[in-house]
Amino acid sequence: MSANAREWILSRLKAAPGRGQSFPQRPPLPPLSALGSERAVLVDTFRQKLEGVKGEFHPVEDRQALCAKLEELFKANGVRRVVAAADSVLATLDLARWAAGIGVELRTPADFTDPASFKDALFREADAGLTGADFLMASTGTLVLAHDRGQARLISLAPILHIAVAPADRVVADYEPVVAALYESSGSMPSQATFITGPSSTADIQATPFTGMHGPRRLIVIVVTR
Amino acid sequence: MEIKTDRFRETVQKELVNPETQKFLSFFPLVLSAMRSATLAGLPDSEAALASAAAIRAEAVERLPELLEEFERNATAAGARVVWARDSEEANRYICDLAREKKVACVTKGKSMVTEEMGLREELEKAGIEVWETDLGEFITQLLGLPPFHIIGPAINVPVETIRDVFLEKAGLEEPTNDPVQLGYAARIFLREKFYRAEMGVTGVNIAVASTGTVINVENEGNIRHCKSGPRIQVSVLSLEKIVPTMRDAFHMLRVLCMCATGQSLGTYASFDTGPRRPGELDGPEELHIVLLDNGRSAAYRNPKTRDALKCIRCAACLSVCPVYGKIGGYPYGWAYSGPMGQVVNPLLLGLDRTEDLYGACTLCQRCKAACPAGIDHPRMLLYYRSRQAEGDSELKGSGAPWSGKALHRFYSAAVRNPALWKAMAKGLRWAANRYEKDGKISRAPGPAEGWFRARDLPRFPDRTFHDRWKEIEKTLERGEKP
Repeated sequence: MSANAREWILSRLKAAPGRGQSFPQRPPLPPLSALGSERAVLVDTFRQKLEGVKGEFHPVEDRQALCAKLEELFKANGVRRVVAAADSVLATLDLARWAAGIGVELRTPADFTDPASFKDALFREADAGLTGADFLMASTGTLVLAHDRGQARLISLAPILHIAVAPADRVVADYEPVVAALYESSGSMPSQATFITGPSSTADIQATPFTGMHGPRRLIVIVVTR
Repeated sequence: MEIKTDRFRETVQKELVNPETQKFLSFFPLVLSAMRSATLAGLPDSEAALASAAAIRAEAVERLPELLEEFERNATAAGARVVWARDSEEANRYICDLAREKKVACVTKGKSMVTEEMGLREELEKAGIEVWETDLGEFITQLLGLPPFHIIGPAINVPVETIRDVFLEKAGLEEPTNDPVQLGYAARIFLREKFYRAEMGVTGVNIAVASTGTVINVENEGNIRHCKSGPRIQVSVLSLEKIVPTMRDAFHMLRVLCMCATGQSLGTYASFDTGPRRPGELDGPEELHIVLLDNGRSAAYRNPKTRDALKCIRCAACLSVCPVYGKIGGYPYGWAYSGPMGQVVNPLLLGLDRTEDLYGACTLCQRCKAACPAGIDHPRMLLYYRSRQAEGDSELKGSGAPWSGKALHRFYSAAVRNPALWKAMAKGLRWAANRYEKDGKISRAPGPAEGWFRARDLPRFPDRTFHDRWKEIEKTLERGEKP
């Protein structure tokens, strides 16, 4: 069916009258933000936009302050079991050993031998998902995750709490550098990329908004400034 | 889903007096519209942004077959399977066969108007497969057997008591509650188990990118991400016009779509799939099937005057500004697409003969055209449908005007071309109308004119017309007197 349908559809489209002679020359796409490139402005705009979509923002100076902040968040939210991505931010921080020291079980994709046990851990066990971020988009308050072996999809989706960590130099104004890095460079494109703007939300019943519909109820972003 | 476009009038009568409908229509479209304006105002140059969006859509439609081939090539190279379907039946058969062949017992679905159009859920259920709508609003409409009220909030008008009762009965709600948040969390728990078990996830596609072979979904709840993360098979149904040339075009359209639909700078989750999961990845589908659906679109494409309908990105900005939708809500349109969007799209996909009331129900006020980021001229298209219907256009399944209408217009055409006949008729009509005069006003008339007077009066027609008086004045002047 498929081959016939393909030819049938394409030939009908191609034979359509009055087509293909000309379409108006497009001007370049206009920028959707006028933020410039000053780091402090970008980070501050990111914070405002993130908070505007009910995300939470914490700046920390270095790894030590990051660990202190994580410990505080884990304690305050009763987090005992965490699944963490092994992405380009978290892989360098060696958090598993640190977490064990404060009595929190922190597992990464490498700790799972098969997809089923990984799914179980995220649906049934994890109190929080911890990820890095490839980019933070200031103009919309968006976290960009390119999924791969280390950045599994369910970590930022299934647990009720999502904590993301990113160095301040990953904050960009808008989508252009993100598209360039993920889809226009010579490397392979990610099987999936996710743009996260706030915690999971809905207003489908009587237009009453609330967070935590199918994904995290809270989204906390920690930006490491140094 | 069942097509009820032929029951427009009776549904309108019901909805006009439905308090739940009227309550929501009194603020929901206004709020959405205000949020759209506020977000657009935050852009450095919103006019340029909207003009670019319209230009992207114009180019995409112009280059449609070439872009589809490019998309197919790139998606296939990334490991997806691209399947073409002439109509809903072919698409449904492919998906049902796939589910059966892969021994799928449970399917979770993301909200998608194109699968509503196809009636996919019903077909999968007939094949004995458990199917769950997972968008909260769609889940509620599934349990209640209702069509979508609004493309953004399919069940936004349904009272909490109704949701409470159906959740108690069918969705594992244990304690009765009228709190929307608690009802939402009950649905979360119920559907989470389905996400865990599902072997196939089915979604629509908001935007497809030719240059990369990527399909994009945008949502707020995370249900579509679940459909594309847990199950081992992913089916993305792409109605073939949703394509754009490049990833930058796609991101621009994505931002404009979110701003126009809900006033968000960006929806909570935008997920971009380029092929299935790669070796070593722990989640995501092992197989990604992209079903490219025609279902009447290539027919619309063949006529340059209806081709513009394929520019639509389903943002629903037109619903929020339409004075007709604002009174009657989504049910009367009788199918997946409502409001001006549905008035433009439904007649092309279903035929002019069974959608006459849809393209008839327009005041030609142009507000939809002004709000449309894709550059569609809805009123012009609706006028075109009306003329093709009257002419009985066979390509568009126009049934032709009824003999009484044709006779009336022939008579009218003859009368306006004959001054003596016209004047005699006008005189007769003045006399007839003035028989119903009371206190200088005409407030009623029998027969077909009755409805016109329901909300209007006419002043009494004077016995002499301007023309009569002018003749007299001329005569007076000719006699050299002052009139």
